[in-house]
Amino acid sequence: MSTIAETAPRGQTHRRMRIDGWRWGGRIFLAFMLLYTALPMIWMLITSIKSGFAAMQFPPQWWPDQPTLASYQKLLDPQNSVGQDFLRFFWNSLFVSTATTVLSVIVAVPAAYAFSRFTFPGRNFLFFAVLLRNMFPAVIFLVPLFILMRAIGLVNTHGSLILTYLTFGLPLAIWLLKGFYDNIPVQLEQAARIDGATRFQAFMLIVMPLSAPGIIATAIYSFIGAWNEYIYAYTFLSKNEQLTLPVGIQRFFSENTTDFPGLMAASFMMSVPVVVLFLVLQRYFVRALTEGAVKH
Amino acid sequence: MAHVVLKDLVKTYRGFKAVNEVSLTVNDGEFVALVGPSGCGKTTTLNLVAGLIPITSGDIVIGDRVVNDLDPKDRDIAMVFQNYALYPQKSVYMNLAFPLQMRKLPKDEIDRKVREAARVLDMTQLLERKPRELSGGQQQRVALGRALVRDPAVFLMDEPLSNLDAKLRVQMRSEIKRFHQDLKATIIYVTHDQLEAVTMADRMAVMNGGYLQQYDSPAQVFAHPANMFVASFVGSPAMSLIPLEASTANGGAVLTSAEGWSLDLSQRNARKVQRATSKKVVLGARHSTIKLHKSAVPGAIPAKAYTVEPTGDVTFVQAFLSGAIVNISVSPNIAVTPDERIWLEFDQERMHLFDGETETALEAN
Repeated sequence: MSTIAETAPRGQTHRRMRIDGWRWGGRIFLAFMLLYTALPMIWMLITSIKSGFAAMQFPPQWWPDQPTLASYQKLLDPQNSVGQDFLRFFWNSLFVSTATTVLSVIVAVPAAYAFSRFTFPGRNFLFFAVLLRNMFPAVIFLVPLFILMRAIGLVNTHGSLILTYLTFGLPLAIWLLKGFYDNIPVQLEQAARIDGATRFQAFMLIVMPLSAPGIIATAIYSFIGAWNEYIYAYTFLSKNEQLTLPVGIQRFFSENTTDFPGLMAASFMMSVPVVVLFLVLQRYFVRALTEGAVKH
Repeated sequence: MAHVVLKDLVKTYRGFKAVNEVSLTVNDGEFVALVGPSGCGKTTTLNLVAGLIPITSGDIVIGDRVVNDLDPKDRDIAMVFQNYALYPQKSVYMNLAFPLQMRKLPKDEIDRKVREAARVLDMTQLLERKPRELSGGQQQRVALGRALVRDPAVFLMDEPLSNLDAKLRVQMRSEIKRFHQDLKATIIYVTHDQLEAVTMADRMAVMNGGYLQQYDSPAQVFAHPANMFVASFVGSPAMSLIPLEASTANGGAVLTSAEGWSLDLSQRNARKVQRATSKKVVLGARHSTIKLHKSAVPGAIPAKAYTVEPTGDVTFVQAFLSGAIVNISVSPNIAVTPDERIWLEFDQERMHLFDGETETALEAN
């Protein structure tokens, strides 16, 4: 190596040094970002295995003297009233989020495909109308939607939330998926149709598998949106047995004392489905799945 | 195999006529090239035959069936696309098997046919690969294989070679030609490259602006272009087209240039000129039919060399006559330098004359 360095022209070694400088700067920046995002999570985990007393100590215990899973036991215990509530909230959230996700994929897939492949009167207008909702902050629609839900008798039902999350999630879902369909060459479907497939078969057998990463991305997006949503769930639902997790977890705050380990344990468990979803599905995010389909 | 008939085929997009009353017959086992510049309607015509887009009016007959309203899958056709359109998630084997699976053939028969096609195209060792793991030429072969595995009535090919590099293109050109000879397949082949059409096709249909300009064997199209467009499109370098003014006197005819020179025509060419609708006549001459002289010769027209392009076998000289570019090919041992004075002699037997108004070829009788 030393001989290479010696014979290398001067300008090149200078450039190499400058690149190394940037690289190290980048690494330090990334390390900082990692700490910034990971530390709160780590603190959440550590707090969740402390006792209620240890959580309030100052200076804080960096690692609890007596780590305990008591908070988790309490939350997951169906005999305990806290556990009953938590599990019910968890189930409610899961139901609302899953229903939202499934419905949004069912609606977004054909809608995005139609926007991508067909020309029909009012196509552009409709497409931008779909996005119009995203121009406004969600809170603006809170009261009008509440009035609407009351009028159609959906207040205090999960249906009201599913409908609302759909209207909020669909525009971006359609937009995202349309991008995926735009990138799938139309000749693939044409080839399939000539090879003996009907238009629907061409879609199901050729286009759907190729758009799987897009569908999964869309599904995760809708799921997380619904899973984390707070303000609508807080407004539309008032019965304890219907609450979703973000609203339910709030119950760990009370006027006199706050059960911080319990709150943190609940928060941690709330983040588990999202993380699991990502881990399980990330392999479908393989880029360039359509590579080799056509020559550009 | 089957014959294909297009009758008064029209395709309109919002009032724009992309394909304009195109009528032609492709005989059983014939290789026909649809050729023309981009936007001439050749690919639209092919897509109409394939059934990928609906026709506005006219008829398409494949075999003995009118297929106007049939789905692509029911037309018994196979198509090779410019970008190959291989199914990226499927292996080569599954790509080849797909058309057979769609027709619900028994598994062992599918396997037999796929392996047979792979053997013919010499890609047995590639069957387990995915399309993205193949080179451009191999992908092209798979696309071809997927078409021939099914033994369709008609093969449609949409510029199948234009994505290959120059060397591979020449090689695949002869392979497709061989494939046609061996299978006696009916092929409709779209290309913008007149050379591909001339070298491969039994007959070529030259299109421009949605209209069929001429439909004949490459030799006929080359020797007797129906109009100025075909004349300038087919052949490389292009035929030189020189706008002139005709005057007839006691049986003979003379073409005069605004530059002052004039050209006496033979008896036969004079008869052609008499059929022109006006005085405007365009003289067409291929590079090989013009003789270049380095000194004045009776009947030769004075000009000045503009560029000189040696290609090895032959040297191309360009000159301006009456404002038109004239290409002349000369033997490489004749040295011509740019701006040198030259004299051009046109071959009366092999020159083409076009009506300056209608742009159609003038015939003697």
